[in-house]
Amino acid sequence: MNPRRKQRLLAVSGILVLLSGGVGAMLYALNENVDLFYTPSQLIDGLGEEKKKPVVGQRLRIGGMVVKGSVRRDEHSLKVSFDLVDTGPIVTVHYDGILPDLFREGQGIVAQGTLLDATNIQATEVLAKHDENYMPPEVAEAVKGIKHVAPKQTYPAGTP
Amino acid sequence: MIAEVGHLALCFALALSLILALFPLYGSYKGAAGPVLLARPAAVLLFLLTAVSFAALCYAFWINDFTVAYVANNSNSMLPWYYRLTAVWGSHEGSMLLWVLMLSGWTAAVALLSNSLPLILQGRILGVLGFVNVGFYAFVLLMSNPYERTLPFFPVDGRDLNPLLQDFGMIIHPPLLYMGYVGFAVSFAFAIAALLGGRFDANWARWARPWTLAAWLFLTLGIMLGSWWAYNELGWGGWWFWDPVENASLMPWLVGTALIHSLAVTEKRGTFKSWTVLLAIAAFSLSLLGAFLVRSGVLVSVHAFATDPSRGLFLLAFLLVVVGGSLLLYGLRMHAVRSQARYQLFSREVLLWGNNVFLLTATLVVFLGTLYPLFHKELGLGSISIGEPFFNSIFQYLAIPFALLLGLAPWVRWKQQQWQPLLKPLGLWLVGALVLAVGVLSMYQSPAANLALLGLLLGAWVTMATIGEIQQKAAQLGGVPGLFKLQASHWGMVLGHLGFAMLVVGIAMTKTFSVEKDVRMKIGDSVELNGYTFMLSEVYALNGPNYGGQAAELEVFQHGEKVTHLHAEKRFYPVTRAVMTEAAVHARLSRDLYVALGEELSGPSWALRVYVKPYVRWIWLGAILMALGGLVSLSDKRYRRKAVKADTGAQAHA
Amino acid sequence: MRKAMFYVPLAAFLALSLFLLSGLFSDPRDHGSALIEKSLPAFSLPDLQQPTRLVTAADLKGEVTLLNVWGLWCPTCNAELGFLTELRQQGVRIVGLYYVQPVDASFGDTFDINKLRLDVQDKLAEQGDPYLLNIVDEKRSLIFDLGVTGAPETFLIDRNGVIRHHHVGDINPQNWPKIQQLYQQLQQGGSDAP
Repeated sequence: MNPRRKQRLLAVSGILVLLSGGVGAMLYALNENVDLFYTPSQLIDGLGEEKKKPVVGQRLRIGGMVVKGSVRRDEHSLKVSFDLVDTGPIVTVHYDGILPDLFREGQGIVAQGTLLDATNIQATEVLAKHDENYMPPEVAEAVKGIKHVAPKQTYPAGTP
Repeated sequence: MIAEVGHLALCFALALSLILALFPLYGSYKGAAGPVLLARPAAVLLFLLTAVSFAALCYAFWINDFTVAYVANNSNSMLPWYYRLTAVWGSHEGSMLLWVLMLSGWTAAVALLSNSLPLILQGRILGVLGFVNVGFYAFVLLMSNPYERTLPFFPVDGRDLNPLLQDFGMIIHPPLLYMGYVGFAVSFAFAIAALLGGRFDANWARWARPWTLAAWLFLTLGIMLGSWWAYNELGWGGWWFWDPVENASLMPWLVGTALIHSLAVTEKRGTFKSWTVLLAIAAFSLSLLGAFLVRSGVLVSVHAFATDPSRGLFLLAFLLVVVGGSLLLYGLRMHAVRSQARYQLFSREVLLWGNNVFLLTATLVVFLGTLYPLFHKELGLGSISIGEPFFNSIFQYLAIPFALLLGLAPWVRWKQQQWQPLLKPLGLWLVGALVLAVGVLSMYQSPAANLALLGLLLGAWVTMATIGEIQQKAAQLGGVPGLFKLQASHWGMVLGHLGFAMLVVGIAMTKTFSVEKDVRMKIGDSVELNGYTFMLSEVYALNGPNYGGQAAELEVFQHGEKVTHLHAEKRFYPVTRAVMTEAAVHARLSRDLYVALGEELSGPSWALRVYVKPYVRWIWLGAILMALGGLVSLSDKRYRRKAVKADTGAQAHA
Repeated sequence: MRKAMFYVPLAAFLALSLFLLSGLFSDPRDHGSALIEKSLPAFSLPDLQQPTRLVTAADLKGEVTLLNVWGLWCPTCNAELGFLTELRQQGVRIVGLYYVQPVDASFGDTFDINKLRLDVQDKLAEQGDPYLLNIVDEKRSLIFDLGVTGAPETFLIDRNGVIRHHHVGDINPQNWPKIQQLYQQLQQGGSDAP
């Protein structure tokens, strides 16, 4: 019985060491890769109770509306910058690449990138939020009975 | 009218599933054969009723019956017929109907193919499956009825299918994926049946194995198709996004892979029993969790179906009953089961255990990465997302020991193995792998590219060790003809491992050597990428059946010679107000050329995204090879052998 | 000890369920909103019924008001009309802020306020009309200043024109009582400080 026990003890402690090391490493990696979400006003005023502001060089996500007329494109490349706003302060996003299909002025977008300075962000990815149409399920259910054109007032098929 | 037939058939199916849940379990409990025998035709009838119901919904789509709300919301008279049919599972309600169709299909298959099992066990398995069926039929009928009418005011035309889903990959991706998810219900039912009876002998594992393999094989193909679809349709040239919905399918796959290996140990050596049972429960639980995450709106994802707390609540309650109940049963019963088999530290058992540890760690990584934003938010710490590097870096580290063990394990004997005899052949193969990896890499510019070297090395190691093992077997069995004596499941393993090697090489090479360029081009401009010259020759307006947009034509040259012609589209779907990128892909085994058309800029010029992606095909081919391995294993004769009359010696020691 | 080990999976699962349950009832899109306790931004926009008449922030002062952002293109808003109409019958003052979707030439869109007026009239005749008046925000400037990210959204504005609550999503019998509480407080409290 004894050698078997010893072997077991060895195996169990081996597992425990590996497991705790693994979980520790994982949590560390997890925290390294957390991208906090900010709105432009949160970026300026700080986030949450403690008004935590991001530091320059931090990776983050920012979501807001593209200010009308703020999209500036470089004439010869795909460099583009635009302003984002939610309820007050404006921040500028710089991006080099193809904007998403649904990118429009006045639309909500989310950009992933790093903070250049207090109000500038270099984006690595820009995502368009495509639904500006909240559809809580109860409503989706309710809609089934309502949102229909009565047969008389129809449009020819294919009308945009 | 037809839709009502479908609805009615579904109601009957719910009633039948209740019978299926109660009678056979009662029969097994009382030891009465009658109720158990009743389960078989009941299961088949359940499948037939569901098939009728599903056909009714297909028919409603076929004839553009927009008085059915689900049809009106997900189809359009302009939609080509094949997309009208795939629109059946394009959204929540229909996909749930597909889900129950597959669930009843698996149940019927179990009923028809398990004649050889002891009657009591049959009753328990079918009863558990019946119980799972009840939950899903109730969910479809109460929470997501696809047959709801829009009368009296019905729309003249439908709102169209989400353009993202108008693609060939989407026609077969969900059915395969659901076959996999739901298939784990069978492994789950086997595990619960065994817990109820307290019997875990080699027969039990041998019966459960083919079902698990089949489910795993479908899931593998489903995930692979999903990845291929994302690559073609999302226009980013990515093949895996660590999106919550993708992760939800990856978790059961990882656990399912662990389960296949653990079942092998339980079958061959009669040990790892509690572990195997836990994995069987976990695989199905993670399938259910995936369904919950996707359909409740807890996580926001590109694929997420409409959010619905009441649906989520139902699914969570179901999850609690099924998973909580089975884990409670596990706690109550499992501690009494003890394995008798002994094995040394260096033995195949331990190596397979290592395989399980790494697969489960990978699962845990995916799980944490997927749910951490939820935990973070619920603890009041703010909205976050987890960056891709988290998954990529950890998977990279996990792959190293995993692949090393994978190459080694088939060489190692059950029970115990001496080090010395393995050192020479394996050392040779290891050196061979190193030479091959560096050799391949030196054909590219930098033999020191870390990730590619690692991937090639691991891939070559797994390949060579696998081939070496076959060679060794050939030597033992008296030359190449002897190889025909090898069991089909052995060949399945070989194929699966080679597929894994291919996948690893594909991922590493694509990650390292892909080049990507976003460019602004006028007509006649060209751009050079990795020796290929892409020339924009024409852009013109598109006129599709249910979309408009622009198309770009490109010519690709290499060393002054024309390689191919590429046709990329950007489509506008007016009905759904969506914009879709149809990437142009020129695929070869060693590389893909990939062009996506972006927006029109002043000039007129266009934004184009151009990629050269070496070996990206290997990722999907590797997955197909793995699935093929599963198929070959399934063909093993011993899974079809009539059960040996239950030998009392293998009775569980309660 | 060994026996307890077999209950670990169950415990882990139950802990997870708790998170999932609480996750079900929190909105993943809710990132917190600013502008509460601030005055309505200045604006001057046409009334849908009489486009020549311009509505300003001053018109909304004097009484506690719900400013409801909506559009015909938004099915949820249309579903909400019935309940809002009931609220109007109970005496709640509701002003509509019509969200005109961006005119996007790639989809062949055009904007015509007269056509819109007729369409809105038809819809309100069919579903019920909760609105005292409808403000048309063709350029989405006010919508922009308010930090609206979609429709429907509703702002609760007190007598002094200060925004007191921002509700994202539809108003329905389940979530109304919470807003109603604040609404009644504001009505009774008159013009007290926050």
